[in-house]
Amino acid sequence: MEEKIIKMLEENDDSIDYANETHLIDDGLLDSFGVIALVADFEDAFDVEIGTADLVPENFNSVQAIAALIRKRA
Amino acid sequence: MSYQSLFYGTLFLPAVFVLYTLTKQAYRKYVLLGASWLFYFLAMHRVTWVLVATCVGVYGAALWIDRASGRQRTFRLTCAIALLAGALIRVKYAGWIADGIGMLAGHQFSVRALVVPLGISYYTLEAIGYLCEVYWQHQAADRDFVRVALFLSFFPQIMEGPIARYQDSAASLCAGQPITGQSLRNGCLRMLWGFFKKMAGADRLSLLVTVIFSQPHRFHGWAALLGSAAYVAQLYLEFSGMIDVTMGTAEVLQIHLPENFRQPFFSRSASEFWRRWHITLGTWLKTYVFFPVSTSHLVVNGNRQARKKYGRQTAKVWTSFLALTPVWLFNGFWHGAKWHYIFYGLYYLVILMLEVILEPAKKRFYSRTGFSPDRGLFSILRWLRTLAIIVAGEVIFRADTVTTAFTMIGNVFRGPSHVHALLAASHLDFSDGFVVVLCLILVTVVDVCREKGVHLFAWFDRQPTAVRWALSYSLIFALICFGAYGAGYRKVDMIYAKF
Repeated sequence: MEEKIIKMLEENDDSIDYANETHLIDDGLLDSFGVIALVADFEDAFDVEIGTADLVPENFNSVQAIAALIRKRA
Repeated sequence: MSYQSLFYGTLFLPAVFVLYTLTKQAYRKYVLLGASWLFYFLAMHRVTWVLVATCVGVYGAALWIDRASGRQRTFRLTCAIALLAGALIRVKYAGWIADGIGMLAGHQFSVRALVVPLGISYYTLEAIGYLCEVYWQHQAADRDFVRVALFLSFFPQIMEGPIARYQDSAASLCAGQPITGQSLRNGCLRMLWGFFKKMAGADRLSLLVTVIFSQPHRFHGWAALLGSAAYVAQLYLEFSGMIDVTMGTAEVLQIHLPENFRQPFFSRSASEFWRRWHITLGTWLKTYVFFPVSTSHLVVNGNRQARKKYGRQTAKVWTSFLALTPVWLFNGFWHGAKWHYIFYGLYYLVILMLEVILEPAKKRFYSRTGFSPDRGLFSILRWLRTLAIIVAGEVIFRADTVTTAFTMIGNVFRGPSHVHALLAASHLDFSDGFVVVLCLILVTVVDVCREKGVHLFAWFDRQPTAVRWALSYSLIFALICFGAYGAGYRKVDMIYAKF
């Protein structure tokens, strides 16, 4: 799952080392437009529903956090 | 009563600090709540009941929401938000709405004007935020009424914010941390710095700004540009200065509040500017308007269909438009029931949409030419462009009407300039100009240090006692000598307190 998430993130911006980055939101590497675009991608790719309550920095700061969120919503 | 009044600075605030220190840690929250409601009563008299009723209502509503699930939970949240928003609309916008309806219906409606409770725009947003956090289960409904009431009423925060999130400030408000030598020193220093920015810089600039905005047709060219830029400087010095006073007071009490500014004039784009300017309003709008709209079924389905039919970029533009429109209408409307505020919001909507639309073309340009957007000529050009956007935006914000704003922006490109006439009409002499320039230089130096990651308070703490005292006294004397008060000056109200 993590590899698939990294590929989707790289479609948005391929200049970031997503595998090791743990502050995507806190460091401003991923902005709110990026999050919204990704939410639609994740919903389609993993057949999950991500709600407003899930849109907190902790869920999008790293690939591992995103994967954990998707597993929780699956 | 306001933060600038002599009574507040010399009696009220010191008395609160003394009483807070003399009280046991567990009871200090009662001191702060009592002081907050007393402050409010001294400023608003009988209207204080609105704030107290809001505290009680929000406390109860959160518990009521937390007890429900599913649709019942959504219904309860909707009711609570409708009540809070209804109160805000009634006192701030009813007259404007009645005028609008009357104009459409060809009949004049009259609505009784009510006193606008101090800080209602700020504590209403905090209350809605708290209820949403409870609804989303990010935060349990608090059973401690004092904590909820203090979160909504904390006196240093009530006039101009910052707009805090419950989980960020409520716990520290009630922690009853002691006032230490270091917290007192750093907090007072930050308060002094804030007062210096407001009284030495902003209040002097207000003389010039009042002249140019009250005679929008009179000044052209450099004079018009100087007047517009002076307003931007005044707004920044005054708003960030008063936020410094708030943060300094909180720092004395070891209370954590979110920062509202992060060197906004270093921005290279309008979107970056809004991540650095009035940060807490931006965060509130992102969390409680942008994200809920973006994740609504309507927008998510629209995004999905647009991606299939027209590709990712078009879908992004469409989604951004749907989500940003309410954000920027809200931003404009929040400042007041006037068309130029709404136009101000729409102005930034258009600019941010252009940023989204042009993003792929910009990426292509930089990758093909090898230029960097963050270094050299293009970085400077982007910075100048952002400054121009900010200045034009603030002219729309400050002018009485949209037409006046356009006239003033147009005047910048017309001659002849009468800078001397503008300065003469403002009654600003050489010494005033010197103080304003000195203040702007100091603020720029401090902002550059912060941007470079230099922590001035930590640096200050490392200095020998003699240097620390010398610096502290310099700031006090600078405030006494350079503050714009007394003969020839009038008291300037806090700009953001009227919102």
